[in-house]
This record gives sequence, structure tokens and C-alpha cells, in this order.
Amino acid sequence: MSNILQTINVTKIYENGVDTPALSDISLTIKKGESVAIIGKSGSGKSTLMHILATLDRPTSGSLIVDNIDATKFSSKDLDNLRNQKFGFVFQQFFLNGRNTCLENVMLPLVIGGVSKKERQRKAKEILAAVGLSAQINQKANNLSGGQKQRLCLARALVTDPQIIFADEPTGNLDTENGKIVIELLFRLQKEKGITLIIVTHDPDLSKLCDRSILIKDGRIVGENS
Amino acid sequence: MKILDLIQISQSNLVRSKLRTSLTILAVFIGTFTISITNGVGNGVNAYINKELGNVGVNNAFVVQNNSSRSSPLANEVVKYDPEQKTGMFNTTLVSNSDISKIENIKNVVKVTPHYVPRIDYVTTNSDKYQAAAQSYIAGLNLDMASGRALNTESNDEITIPIRYISPLGFSQASNAIGKKLTVGYKDSKNIQIEKTLTIVGVQQESILGSATLYIAPNLAEQIQLDQTAGISSIAGTYESLLVEFDKNLPKKDADALRQVLLANKYTAQTIQDRIGTFSKIINGILMGLNIFGIIALLVAAFGIVNTLLMAVNERTSEIGLMKALGANSRTVFGIFSLEAASIGFWGALIGIGASMAVGTVVNRYAAHNFLKDFVGFNLLEFPLVSSVAILVGIVVLAFLAGTLPSIKASRLDPIKALRYE
Repeated sequence: MSNILQTINVTKIYENGVDTPALSDISLTIKKGESVAIIGKSGSGKSTLMHILATLDRPTSGSLIVDNIDATKFSSKDLDNLRNQKFGFVFQQFFLNGRNTCLENVMLPLVIGGVSKKERQRKAKEILAAVGLSAQINQKANNLSGGQKQRLCLARALVTDPQIIFADEPTGNLDTENGKIVIELLFRLQKEKGITLIIVTHDPDLSKLCDRSILIKDGRIVGENS
Repeated sequence: MKILDLIQISQSNLVRSKLRTSLTILAVFIGTFTISITNGVGNGVNAYINKELGNVGVNNAFVVQNNSSRSSPLANEVVKYDPEQKTGMFNTTLVSNSDISKIENIKNVVKVTPHYVPRIDYVTTNSDKYQAAAQSYIAGLNLDMASGRALNTESNDEITIPIRYISPLGFSQASNAIGKKLTVGYKDSKNIQIEKTLTIVGVQQESILGSATLYIAPNLAEQIQLDQTAGISSIAGTYESLLVEFDKNLPKKDADALRQVLLANKYTAQTIQDRIGTFSKIINGILMGLNIFGIIALLVAAFGIVNTLLMAVNERTSEIGLMKALGANSRTVFGIFSLEAASIGFWGALIGIGASMAVGTVVNRYAAHNFLKDFVGFNLLEFPLVSSVAILVGIVVLAFLAGTLPSIKASRLDPIKALRYE
């Protein structure tokens, strides 16, 4: 299987007077269709690593290779397009627009990408059905339960048919039962669609479900298990 | 992102904080309303004046007065006495027959005639007597006639009267006065009452351009003046003003040169249009002053827009972060917020212009039946499309400019920090 994401000696230093780098010398490879957990305590640098992998942040040194292209050389416009078309995001805090309907929330990445109205409605309805929210299409996102909200976020992340999904503590705001439902759904759709999944979490149960886990401590990779 | 989606998003963002947006729109509305109303009055008055000016008809003559310095109660300096100068009403310096011959010799001058403003005491149709002012009619002067025609300058027994005299003189309507006799009374230099009976040939429409006087033929006016100055050599042969005519086909350049010669010889030289145009200058000055209030209101509104949008940027920080994470570029984010600012300006201006038009329609209708009843064709407020569109565009641009600061702030947000912001 070919590589979809690769970091070569990535180091990130924040220019705020702290000497210790947030990330030092990270080299890792993620294959297409793989599910990878990035685990570590808070402050370990796992979020920074995800931000760099997701091109939301640029490394201080080192390279990020996305689909065999060096993304560190991309312009910010190219990176915007890359995130819009190839990446999907699921956040712990959902970041839904509560006054908008489920349909509108799911269509947002397509609106940003300039997809036609007809096409984006079709795609959004399709994916809402896949996450089991067909009945809630025209409901305001505020009226959903926590579990439904996170399923809505899954739909938003999947609507662009991304190659990679970045999930940042996707169960952090959910109770055990709802967390389980969302995770099962996430893995099922990931396998169905052959998407690469990168989950940042400190939940060992969640990391066990992934093909492999990368353990981060003090900005370095300190362990890996499959 | 497509421009249509951008507009849609900014419009739906606009109604998210309804009270705040409404108040900002209200501020824009107040400024727009003020500017639109003052411009409406300016357009109305100027359109009327221009229409009347176009009607004046005499464009080949200067009204000339003596402009020699003399010591007036208002002047700061004391001027040496000149026995040649004659003093008229209000301490003005009069022009005399010697001035006429002097001006006649200037190049391009065709004809110089005194403009008579005889002092008459009353007019009557053999019942009540009414005070009146009269002046000699200038051939070719287009008066706006409610009925009848302008008088024939060769005919010494014709007169035209303003429409306001119709009812006091006992006529039910303007057309009834045509052909009727009117007696004009004045005193000669020996204080003897003289009456002339004239025929009314025309009734002048009310106008701001000095149709408030009676018009009589120049020869009759001259005769009255001669009666009134007979035996008083100190004022005989003196006039308040002269009418200096030049060739109808004289190029404007030469007419201007002629004016300069007259000015150099210490005369004032105004065309009839100039004299009337002074009025519109005064009106425009007043309106400019009122416009400043509107502009101040709009500047305050612009700061309101800045404030509103800065609050919106703060409230929507995580939303902006999400959009940027999902691939919205800085230009898109800038567009969303600056369109929102422009929309506040657009809606405020649109409502303001609409309200001013509504008020204008009501005021015009009221005025037409009340204080402007006799000024036919005078709309106090006029809103030409071009000027309304110009106001709208100007305010949208102002609002857009006010929105740039918050929009740039939004577009520069770092998505990671914005997503951490709660």
C-alpha cells in the first residue's frame, strides 16, 4: 500500500521564549487506508503534530509529504484547497453552527469549495443518511443530542469524500454509549470508503481500535505499537 | 467560494444579532435620510430655477450698475467727494446719461437703455386700491404666463400683472382679467396725483424669479420717471441700472471680454441669469451646510459599523477558525465580513432613501396645495435616479471601508488559535 502522509525530521519550535521544541525530529509514515492513533498526555505535542499533519500549522524545519508531494512548499492557497478537498476534520467541541440546519452544516465544506447548490445538497443528503440523520436534515444543529452532533460532524467531515480524516478527541464530549456509537460509525465508514484515519486521543480503548498507535512524549515519538 | 454563497452567508450573518444590526442600520439610515432630503431640496430648487432660467429668454444683455466706490454706512473707508456721482436709494451710486454714452462706445455694445423702476402708488379696477411695484419690460423676457401674453414693448397702454393680484382686483380667475382695464396711480414731482388707465394683456405665474412686479412698456416707464423727476435736476437723467445689449450671436468669449471691460470701468455687469443665479447659490450654500450634518451622522454610523463587526469577529472566532480549517482562504473570510459591512450600509441607505422619497412625496403634495400653490411646476423635493444611486453607492463604499479593519482582523485569524478560543 502506498504512503499518503509522511513527515521527515519535522521539528516545531514556538517563538515564545520556550527553549524546548513542541516537536523534535518527528519522522513517520502513514499508509493509505490505515487508521492511526496519536496518543500522549496533554502538552505532549500530539495536537501540534496533528496540526502539522493537517497543514493547519507549518513545521519549523523538516518536510511533510502528502500523496508524494512536499506540502511544506505549498502556498497557503494550495494548502487551503488541499484541506478542503482531501482532508476531513472532526473536533472534540464539534464546532457546529447551532442556528443552521443539519443540512447547512454538512454542506459548509462544499460551499467553501465552490460546489454547485444541487450537487452539494445531493452529497449532503446522502452522507446524512449514512450517519443516520436523515430525519434531522432540516433541524437546527442546536436541537440535536451530543451523539447526534458528533455524527453530524462525521457527516461534515465525510461529505467531500476526503482521503484523510483527522479526528481530535472525537469522543471527548460524549458519554460512553454515544462515544461507542460514534466510533463504530467512524470506523465502519472509514473502512467502507478506504479513508485514512488519524485520531488524536488519550483514550487507550479508542487507540486499541486503530491499526497502530504512535505514542508522543515531550515532542518526540517514544513508542509505537500495532 | 462562489460569490452568491458569500452574499448569502453575509446576509444570514447580518440577522444573527438582530438588535445590534438594526441599531447600526438605524444610524446609517439617519445619515442617509438627512443627505437624501437636503439633496432632494437642492435638486428640486435647482431644477425649478434652471427651468425658469432657461425661460428667461434674454441672454444677450447685461444689467449694469455703477460700482464706483462711495462712502456707505457699511464701508470702512471715507471716500473723497466726486461731484459727478449721483446718489440713489440705499446710498447706491446711480448711472446717468453720461454713462450711457460712455458705454455705447465700448466695442460690441449694440444698445444701452435705462432700466426704469418707476415708483407707482397703487393699482385699482375702480374699487379698492392696492399697492404695487412696477418695472419696465425687457423685450424678449419670457415670463411664465398663467393667462394672456407678455406685453408689446411698443404699446404704451398695456400691462401684465402677477397672479396674486387677480382675486384682490375682483377677478374670479386669471383669464377673466385679460382685456380688462387697470388704473395705475402715481404722484409727479409736484406731488400731483396722476392716473393712467392700461389694458391687462397678461397674468404672470407666481415665480421665485421676480415676477412679483407689474410690467409696463419702457416708454411708459420712462414717461412716469420723467413726471417724477421733472424740475429736480439733481436726479433727472439718473437711473438705478442700465440694460446693455450686445449681439445675439456674440461668442461667449467676447461677451465675457465685454463684461471685463465694464468691470474695469467701475460698473457691475450681470446677465439676468446671473442675477437670478445668486438665489440658487444661496440655496446651495444652505443645503451644503445641512449636508454636513448628514455626513457627520454617516461618519458616526461608520464607527458603529466598525464596532458591530469587531464584536461579530469576536463572537464568531471559532466559526472563522473552522471555516479556515475547512479550506476557506483569507480572501473568503475577508469577503464575508466586508460584505456584511457593505450590507449594513446598503440596507440603511436603501431604507433612508426610500423614506426620504416617501416624505418628499407627502411634502410635495402638501406644498402644491399650500405655500407653493402658485408656483406651477415647482417640486420642493426631487429625487433624480442618478443622485439617489450616487448616494446609495457612496454609502455602501463608506460602509465597506469601515468594514475593512474588522474584516482584515477576521481574515488574519490563525485557525488553530481560533479553534482553541471559546
